[in-house]
Amino acid sequence: MMVMKQLRSAVVIGYMLSITWIRRNLLSLVWLFATPFSILFIVTVTTSGQAFVQGVIGSLLLVLVSVGTGMAGDATWYRLELKLHDYFIASPVHQLAYLLGIALAGLFYSTPALMVLIPILVYIGLPMASLPLAILAVGIVWLFSAAIGYLVSTYVSNLRNGWQSGLLLSVIFGILPPAFYPAEILPSSLLLVAYLVPTTHAVLLLRVLMGQTVNLAGWSPLIGWIALVVMLLVALAGTSKVARWRQP
Amino acid sequence: MAQASFSALVLSGLGLILKAIESTLLSKTYHGGKNPALDRVTMVVDSGQVFTLLGRNGAGTTTFLRIAATQLSPSSGEISVLGSDVRHAPDRVRRNVAAVPQEGNTIGPLTAWDHVYLALLARGMSRTEARKRTRYTLDQLELTEYQNQPADTLSGGLRQRVRVAMAVATDAELLFLDEPTLGLDAISRRRIWAVLREICKEGRTILLTTHYIEEAEILSNHVAIINSGRLISSGSPSDLLGKVEERVRVDVEGSGVSSDELASYGRLVRVAERWRVFTSDAKAGELTQEAVRRGCRVSVAPVSLEDLFVELVGREEE
Repeated sequence: MMVMKQLRSAVVIGYMLSITWIRRNLLSLVWLFATPFSILFIVTVTTSGQAFVQGVIGSLLLVLVSVGTGMAGDATWYRLELKLHDYFIASPVHQLAYLLGIALAGLFYSTPALMVLIPILVYIGLPMASLPLAILAVGIVWLFSAAIGYLVSTYVSNLRNGWQSGLLLSVIFGILPPAFYPAEILPSSLLLVAYLVPTTHAVLLLRVLMGQTVNLAGWSPLIGWIALVVMLLVALAGTSKVARWRQP
Repeated sequence: MAQASFSALVLSGLGLILKAIESTLLSKTYHGGKNPALDRVTMVVDSGQVFTLLGRNGAGTTTFLRIAATQLSPSSGEISVLGSDVRHAPDRVRRNVAAVPQEGNTIGPLTAWDHVYLALLARGMSRTEARKRTRYTLDQLELTEYQNQPADTLSGGLRQRVRVAMAVATDAELLFLDEPTLGLDAISRRRIWAVLREICKEGRTILLTTHYIEEAEILSNHVAIINSGRLISSGSPSDLLGKVEERVRVDVEGSGVSSDELASYGRLVRVAERWRVFTSDAKAGELTQEAVRRGCRVSVAPVSLEDLFVELVGREEE
């Protein structure tokens, strides 16, 4: 019951911080297309279309990573400028519900990009039966990124650093891991580093779900799923423990 | 329409007063700060009151309020809110409080209605109840005619009223209002005061910070004056004024009476082109007669909370 109440709070906060903006400000939907689709374009053109599938997977993940890590800026803005953070602390809303609410707001913004990318993904080889698993994998990456973005936001003391941190995190979790290029080309030492990022596992799982063969030492779909779930749980637990809901 | 806190009403009906907030030797030193922002403050806020924290900028009033509202951790000391320990059981406190943080802003395109209604839903209220309370509160704060306007098209004063409505509309037993009337015109401020008084009649408690001394004087059941993090005086406005020996202030303008002569009647302060003399009732009469006889312009008024505040804080800083 308590959990349902908090989930309801999260959905309301998500709605509060996104839908009304979107209704009056369509530009806020467009910017999320810019980077992922630009990279998709570059990857596709420079490989004469051979890396299109990889590019679509990478774009999908980059959209979700961006809205997640973008919380570093958004949540900083809500805390420092709007004082929404302080408003919700002094209320029955739990920190994780607030986090989920802001994360949902980001997800709502990303809906148009997802509505383009997911059908493309299905069109180019993701079986419909595997769609729920694919959504689960990318959903975990989104929530992980949001938790990290929120955690960082609670330590940031000015708005500019908030936006900058979000951009930096989106590079770390969305662009550098093997999302737009095959993990197989990474030297083994860098691959080990890439395994520490959930995006890597989500990309590999999507490739497997699309029928591709992934030949990487020490990685299997089971390990990928376990890694994703463990990383998400660690991120959520760490955030609820370390994030500054109440300022020290 | 708004439901009073049942327990508070029953207890006040029985002549019992609950403590809404109780702090003991509460201190706060910010990271990297040399001096404490709050220094061993021991204070009790009774239920059903408007309790005002009055202080200069940076005096520690907001720090106290934020600690009580579970937004900030104290460095040392104890504080309980509505019977729950703020340090160790903040979630229990949070179920029954609401806050208007200082100098925040509204959410751009959300309407006044959206702000209040969605905030209530997020706090867990049913849609029917949230709708009812939103309508009532917007009406109370004279926001009904703006309820469908996006907040970013409203004036600063209206936006501030919307923020106040977000806390006032809740069913919280204790409201934390950090400078809720900052930047508002006199009419809007009075509107908010009227609403806050109604809230108190329902048995709810308000902890308020303000720099407007008139606001504290008119609105509060109890005023605590804080300076440099320390509680320097506390009581009802009339109690505080009752502690003053010089109950009258006489403003004298003109060259007919020298400052030395004026000083013989009481404490003398220069205010722009006038001399202000703080004195007793009897001496005020004498001084007025003498000053008028010598052709000075004179005005007489009872000492205000502002005079007391200036004197107490000034004395502290000396």
